[in-house]
Amino acid sequence: MKYLSNEQIPDFFSSLQATHEVRLPIMLPDGTRCLGHPGDGTVALFGGALPAKPTAAFFPHEGPVFVAASEGFTEPSAPEKPLLVVGFTSRDLACLRFIDRFFAEGWRDDIYFRNRQGALVVGVSGYCGPGGASLALADGDCDFELVWDRTRWLVVSHTGAGSAIVEGLAETVSDGTLERLRKEMAVYEDENEKAIRRASELIRADRVPDTFWSEIGDRCIACTGCNLACPTCTCFGVQDWRYAGRVKRSRMWDSCQLDGFMREASGHNPLGTEGLRTRRRIHHKLAADPDRWGEISCFVCGRCDAVCPTGIGIFAVARELIERFGNI
Amino acid sequence: MSSSADGTTASLYVPVDCEIIAVSDLTPHEKLFRLRLKNGAPLGHLPGQFVQVSLLGWEEAPISVASSPTRTDYFEMGIRRTGSLTSAMHELTAGDLIGVRGPFGRPFELPKLRGHDLLLISGGCGLAPLRSLIHYCEDRPEEFGALTILYGAKSPGDVLFKDDFALWETSARFACSRTVDQVPEGDCYSGGVGLITSLIPPLEIDPHRTVAVLVGPPVMYRAVIAELKKKGLSSDRIVVSLERHMRCGVGKCGHCTIEHLYCCQDGPVFWLNEIEHLRGAL
Ligand SMILES: Cc1cc2nc3c(=O)[nH]c(=O)nc-3n(C[C@H](O)[C@H](O)[C@H](O)COP(=O)(O)OP(=O)(O)OC[C@H]3O[C@@H](n4cnc5c(N)ncnc54)[C@H](O)[C@@H]3O)c2cc1C
Ligand code: SF4
Ligand code: SF4
Ligand code: FES
Repeated sequence: MKYLSNEQIPDFFSSLQATHEVRLPIMLPDGTRCLGHPGDGTVALFGGALPAKPTAAFFPHEGPVFVAASEGFTEPSAPEKPLLVVGFTSRDLACLRFIDRFFAEGWRDDIYFRNRQGALVVGVSGYCGPGGASLALADGDCDFELVWDRTRWLVVSHTGAGSAIVEGLAETVSDGTLERLRKEMAVYEDENEKAIRRASELIRADRVPDTFWSEIGDRCIACTGCNLACPTCTCFGVQDWRYAGRVKRSRMWDSCQLDGFMREASGHNPLGTEGLRTRRRIHHKLAADPDRWGEISCFVCGRCDAVCPTGIGIFAVARELIERFGNI
Repeated sequence: MSSSADGTTASLYVPVDCEIIAVSDLTPHEKLFRLRLKNGAPLGHLPGQFVQVSLLGWEEAPISVASSPTRTDYFEMGIRRTGSLTSAMHELTAGDLIGVRGPFGRPFELPKLRGHDLLLISGGCGLAPLRSLIHYCEDRPEEFGALTILYGAKSPGDVLFKDDFALWETSARFACSRTVDQVPEGDCYSGGVGLITSLIPPLEIDPHRTVAVLVGPPVMYRAVIAELKKKGLSSDRIVVSLERHMRCGVGKCGHCTIEHLYCCQDGPVFWLNEIEHLRGAL
């Protein structure tokens, strides 16, 4: 098995810039952990899931659709070198797998795949969670994975492209760390995950009345943070920017928590109340997506609960819902 | 990457040029646009589908194709002035270029309509998408049984496609009834007055031979469906076309969802039994 010492990490990823457009977790001077280029700040692999969704490397907050000028349309080009994005937890990787499928099926979203196609994805796991807590192994869904065993990063590749990148790294004898972590995770049943599954069952069994959604909705200030933080929220709006001699059409993330999200030109609004919008936010992940895609589209990353200023992220709502309707 | 209408590979989100051949007034708020793809190819749509109309600087809007694919030299759209893009459209004249993407969406299922009596019901702007199917029936009358057209508008001034109506009313192939909700004082109007639901009870319908197709504003559906059910029509014999806010037309932007369905992809045309149990569908 390959490994890297923590001291080798910055140089290893800097060296990959020759062939890849590298994004990895860094710490900004103000203490923010986010995706950045090597050299933009100190590498910050420790601390668990990044506050902002790493899927933004492929589907950014705002991005061009095309630029139109007298000579015709210019589409944004793919990155010069393929992207290599580091910092996905196993839950983030599940989210990425879900949106890869979402953007591929039916009409294939070429704008997304311009960034995504050929990109390398690097997971992080092991004892590198908040305060040294363990993060589950991804065991797939990425090209290679960095597993912190408290002394070094074990480098586990899952694809041919991943193996090729880590080929030159030093070898270490396997000391059973991976197996130990895998076992630890198997006995540890995540309470949030359980709550999400149970809440999904209750919603799908039609056990949750509208009054519940209105009550939760009353606590929503429509800041849109939950949607903007969620790696499986993919809704977008379209905006034209007019400049002298050209128009740039761009698309940017949108939020189903805003009252105009579904309002039609006639004034009819299928999401016309905060209660309906709150129901949409939760129901879509726990009931609509399972109906359409065969799986719950909340992969329990924890971001919406971390970001919601009024305490109604999906875990909080799921717990309240189970408490009130789980035993009737 | 997708193949665009002109055969070259371009982004799914890049529109193709389309030339306006003619513009005429339908009402003070609605205009009829006759168009042709600049490369001369037919649009390739089926009745019930829509295109994303694109004007640079004004984004896009979903607009139904109002003409039948049996008429291949051009296609038509009836556009109501409601906001920024549609107002900009109303300033355009013959010779101007617009962009379109599409056609998108699930059309009326012609194979399942063939051989049946059709009850073609529309309210307000809903006549635009339904006109595509009506023209199709006009051009291929042998494919269908009895054809009945019911149309309701707010007032005589809001009646769309008056010239078409004059033809349908005199055609032996169609039975037509229309009504307006009210007649403003001083208007000279000789047709029926009342809600569109009032046109259904007098009809003689064989519920086992008939399919009803409904396109109209959201308020129309429940009331009309209730009348149709009284006539013995079951939900698998009623077709509706639903309007939703749409940004992309291709199942990605998320604005048009009805529970697990995407109106732009799975619709806008649905059989009633597919959606009547879904929250917020009607
Ligand atoms: C499948 C389908 C077929 C349609 N066919 C026709 C037709 O044949 N003729 C016709 O006149 N109209 C049709 N419409 C309605 C038409 O799309 C809207 O009137 C148009 O989007 C308004 O655009 P605007 O830029 O002029 O208005 P805006 O200035 O964008 O907005 C006016 C209002 O419309 C809402 N709105 C904005 N964008 C959309 C959108 N993309 N979809 C729906 N509502 C939106 C806004 O929330 C706002 O309340 C159809 C809509 C759908 C979904
Ligand atoms: S926990 Fe919240 S942010 Fe994370 S996937 Fe679930 S809904 Fe999205
Ligand atoms: S983060 Fe909380 S308050 Fe903000 S829109 Fe989402 S649910 Fe509402
Ligand atoms: S219009 Fe974008 S998903 Fe339907």
